Amino acid sequence: MKPLLETERLILRRVDPDHDFEAWAEAFADPDTVRYLGVEPMNRQQAWRSMATIMGHWQIRGYGFMSVIEKTTGKWAGRIGPWNPEGWPQPEIGWTLHPDFTGKGYATEAGAACIEYAFGTLGWDEVIHVIVPQNIASINVAEKLGSHYLRTIPNIPGMFDKPCHIYGQSKP
Amino acid sequence: MNTIIETDRLLLRPIDGVRDFPFWAEMMADADSVKYLWNNTPCDENAAWQNMVMNMGHWQVRGYGFFSVVLKETGEWVGRIGPYYPHGWPAPEIGWAVHPAHTRKGYAYEAATACLPFVFEKLGWERVTHVIVDGNTPSIALAEKLGSKLLETRFDETSGRTRLIYGQDRP
Repeated sequence: MKPLLETERLILRRVDPDHDFEAWAEAFADPDTVRYLGVEPMNRQQAWRSMATIMGHWQIRGYGFMSVIEKTTGKWAGRIGPWNPEGWPQPEIGWTLHPDFTGKGYATEAGAACIEYAFGTLGWDEVIHVIVPQNIASINVAEKLGSHYLRTIPNIPGMFDKPCHIYGQSKP
Repeated sequence: MNTIIETDRLLLRPIDGVRDFPFWAEMMADADSVKYLWNNTPCDENAAWQNMVMNMGHWQVRGYGFFSVVLKETGEWVGRIGPYYPHGWPAPEIGWAVHPAHTRKGYAYEAATACLPFVFEKLGWERVTHVIVDGNTPSIALAEKLGSKLLETRFDETSGRTRLIYGQDRP
């Protein structure tokens, strides 16, 4: 599948179910990975549905989470990118990494490429990141990406039943 | 959007995420409509949207999926009916869910009847099933009317419910 974005160590492309599903299912079964996503660890059926949801989001919005591939190994490292399902506060750049690929700076590397894509290609004027207050690692990523705290919302109906911080930045 | 199957009263076409959403959301918010679905509690609009786009993604992964069924005469959205096989599903099925404003008119039977030759001839299936939650009497009656028989009973751990697998082989 054709890369959409490329960084020094990563390729970002559309979700390829044949290649990505096993690693996707591993990641979303991991309690640490899903802890701040507002969902319980997923079995394989639920993980497949979450993957299909991302693919349908692409079809209706024309953009969506991309699969992040580590160049040196070809492995699926996570999903990062623009996300704006019905009811979301506003379009965001989000990130979820497979547990084998955390702590390497990949979220920052891919996130920076996605912010440029959102401003340059998608024409957004602002990007946000919806982050659970306890998720210190993601707050660190948001700040490294040049985003800052904007506000706190009480919940997102149907998706998050707890308060979320909104970090973000405007188009330069 | 392109019609794939046409019957006397109905058109079956792929899901149109913009046009179909309000009606999809109404159905998913209705307790009676969702009682026997995999997501068996009524959804708010946001969750209904995710359910709809999941089904659009199912089309991309499998090359087929639930059709949006609309009335030929008025274009009204009647429900989602068609071939369905998400990961972990017991077997490829023809499933149905009808918007509460359009039940009891024989639409599910009419659409599902037209889906049978579609899955056998176009998709090449050897067997079709209908995965029905135990107690769903109207769907059991519909499966039998379609010529399907009870093949197997299975307990589903994810939903904690017993499923009746009805089905029939390619003629």
